[in-house]
Amino acid sequence: MTPAETPTRPAWLTADVLRSRSVYIAFILLVLFDLVVTPGFRNPVVVRSLLFEAAPVILIALGQALAIGTRGIDLSVGSVMALSSAVIGITLSFGQGVSIAAGIGAGLLCGILNGLLVAVFRIAPLISSLSLLVAARGLAQALLGGARLDLPFDGPIAIIGQVTLFGLPVTALVALAVAASFAFVVRRTTPGRYAIFVGASRTAATLAGHPVRSTLAFVYGLSGMLAGVAGMFATARLGAADANYIGVQFELDAIAAAVIGGTPLSGGRISTLGTVFGVLLLVVLDASFIMNNVNANYAQILKAAFIVGALYVQRAGA
Amino acid sequence: MLLETRGITKSFGVVRALRDVSFTLRAGEVHGLMGENGAGKSTLIKVLTGLNQPDGGTILLEGQKVTFAAPRDAQAAGIAAVYQEINLIPERSVADNLFLGREPRRLGLFIDRPRMIAEADALLQRYGLAIDPKRTLRTLGLGLQQLVSIARVVSLGARVVILDEPTSALSSAEVELLYRVVEQLRRDGIGLVYVSHRLSECYQLCDRLTVLRDGAVVDSAATGDLPRARLIAAMLGREAGPVVARTPGASAVAPAPGSAATALRVQNLSWRRRVRGVSLAVGRGEILGLVGLLGSGRTETFKAIYGAEKPDSGTIEIAGRRVARPRPAESIRQGLAFLSEDRRSEGIFGQLSVRENLSASVLPRISRWGVISRRRQDELVVRYLRELGVKSAGPGMPITSLSGGNQQKVLIGRALCSEPGTVMLDDPTRGIDVGAKAEVHRVIRGLAAEGLGVLVTSSEIEEVVELADRLVVLDEGAVTGELATEGRSGDDVLALLAGDPSDAQAHQPSTGGAA
Repeated sequence: MTPAETPTRPAWLTADVLRSRSVYIAFILLVLFDLVVTPGFRNPVVVRSLLFEAAPVILIALGQALAIGTRGIDLSVGSVMALSSAVIGITLSFGQGVSIAAGIGAGLLCGILNGLLVAVFRIAPLISSLSLLVAARGLAQALLGGARLDLPFDGPIAIIGQVTLFGLPVTALVALAVAASFAFVVRRTTPGRYAIFVGASRTAATLAGHPVRSTLAFVYGLSGMLAGVAGMFATARLGAADANYIGVQFELDAIAAAVIGGTPLSGGRISTLGTVFGVLLLVVLDASFIMNNVNANYAQILKAAFIVGALYVQRAGA
Repeated sequence: MLLETRGITKSFGVVRALRDVSFTLRAGEVHGLMGENGAGKSTLIKVLTGLNQPDGGTILLEGQKVTFAAPRDAQAAGIAAVYQEINLIPERSVADNLFLGREPRRLGLFIDRPRMIAEADALLQRYGLAIDPKRTLRTLGLGLQQLVSIARVVSLGARVVILDEPTSALSSAEVELLYRVVEQLRRDGIGLVYVSHRLSECYQLCDRLTVLRDGAVVDSAATGDLPRARLIAAMLGREAGPVVARTPGASAVAPAPGSAATALRVQNLSWRRRVRGVSLAVGRGEILGLVGLLGSGRTETFKAIYGAEKPDSGTIEIAGRRVARPRPAESIRQGLAFLSEDRRSEGIFGQLSVRENLSASVLPRISRWGVISRRRQDELVVRYLRELGVKSAGPGMPITSLSGGNQQKVLIGRALCSEPGTVMLDDPTRGIDVGAKAEVHRVIRGLAAEGLGVLVTSSEIEEVVELADRLVVLDEGAVTGELATEGRSGDDVLALLAGDPSDAQAHQPSTGGAA
């Protein structure tokens, strides 16, 4: 092909670039669509509410992206959120500060357990986190006796669930700050790079002298702790500890957000910004269905179709 | 003439991959296709197997003009290729794989397993492969899997078989088996196109050699009429000669026990039944070569020393300090670096940049409080890319964008980053082209000249003889001899290996237990 025949197209319009930016493009298109079509979408209250929804999902999606980056997966995040919620509920009598710490600590413990199963006992992450998915929610339900436990209307937890800064939920701001430090950890620190190396090639990582086991323990421990914080956020937003409601099927959104955002299941790559936008995309998508009065059952199907479409675009780039 | 191409041309964009390529293959002939990476061998194979359609020229099969729109057409016409990566099912038996998709059936419904196994057995016997057809394919070595793959395509009616880099994955005893299979193919009147980087093999095996360079045929002759020097000159496009003369610097004597000149000392090292009581010592500035046939435990010895496999017994001293618990991380800390023979799955981090790949072993050293210093990382990267002469479009490029030889240099750079006193290089020139090979040799000699101890092996004995100051001969996991390489040739070492009575068995087709 001579240069004259080459279509003169700007570099940013090539298929590869479009593909690697697909999550941002999709997000912008969806927001534009909603601004035009969806009644009430411009209302700041709606935006604020969406960000309250997004905050916990961003946290677990980051942990998920890290696990996926090591060529693993963490299915337990939704249930760990519920366990965190239950632990907050039953420790309230010790003071809200203690119960918040206990909830996050429960998440961390789950994560460490998961990490030990994966790193030391060499159980496939899919299996270990699946068993934790079942066990953590079961334990949460047992702790609360299957009932919803309403939280007091005042105190730190109630504040976390409502407070805003410059009109933005503090939980969302915290989630974004966590995302920023997460990006730094992944890109510039040894544990973050080790996670990527393990995901790119576990054998090569071992031979290069990397601490593969402690890396995996770190990865799942961090994911568990982030799920603990996410559970606390969700509990604060709901104003109640509820093992049957908090974090149900959130692991699926977390996985979808990470992968749509450009973190391939084959490992060795993590996109932090993409993961955040993957979450925002899914949250706005959910809201679009609700606000346009789409039947919830059909909404599920449409969302699934959307995710499959997004993953197809990603896959074509691989 | 079984197969003939006339004036084949093929371009990809501006790249002319094949230029007026004419090539002939007689029935019962083994025809070596030679050339450096990028010479056009792969494209020619793709054209012959229908993966690519030529822009011009014709293909004649037994005098008939043929065109292949898809690989299926080429297969139906009787042209099959066996690649390095085997496309069989590792979890199924050998017989299952041989008869995949055409299993003998009873009443047209149920697979007739006894008959299938009997037929598979007969087929394997015919090619001198003493493999139990009921064995799971995965449990065979890669080399034997490849031979099974060959048996399969021939039994499917292939008349032209293309072996693409068959011996990259084979060990010497499997090569022996391959030779038998090839002899049988010759008798059956099947034409064989043999593509390999290993010149000695091609000389042993091929009746004729055709050399490609830059997409064109530059030489073609009967093997006997094509001396090595002329072949290499044709491949490289220049007059061949020794790239670097070996300086007889280091002494050809093993360092004395406890001597300060010892870089690495291994005593009575054992791992399972693959490494049996190996003792050896590498002096500073010395290149020690490890030679041995298939299954002699070269790679296993390296990995046990490095701690990638946990040795059952024995001691390892790095620079005079005993390693209590051999593990890769510990070995690196003590100053021992290792380059795996399997670059693709044990060396490179495929999706990551040259920079990351190069500095992968030394992250703690270039970071503070766990934060990696980009400045110190770049210093290392710039230094080693220059010292090793890596050709890349920049340290930010993915390592997979580099040629095999340059990838290997990056991995050698990774090993050197940790400033080791000893490096172990397991087949460092595997699968890289002739030019890159010479450069890797130059680097290895440079390391020894700087006073590093080098322990090296290669699947080509001549290469080790050429590189090393001293050789340790390994047989079935045990050290059976030592000799200085001064004035020796590969044939001397082969004679030594062949002269060993226990070795006579290694040449027999072992019952599939090869790898």
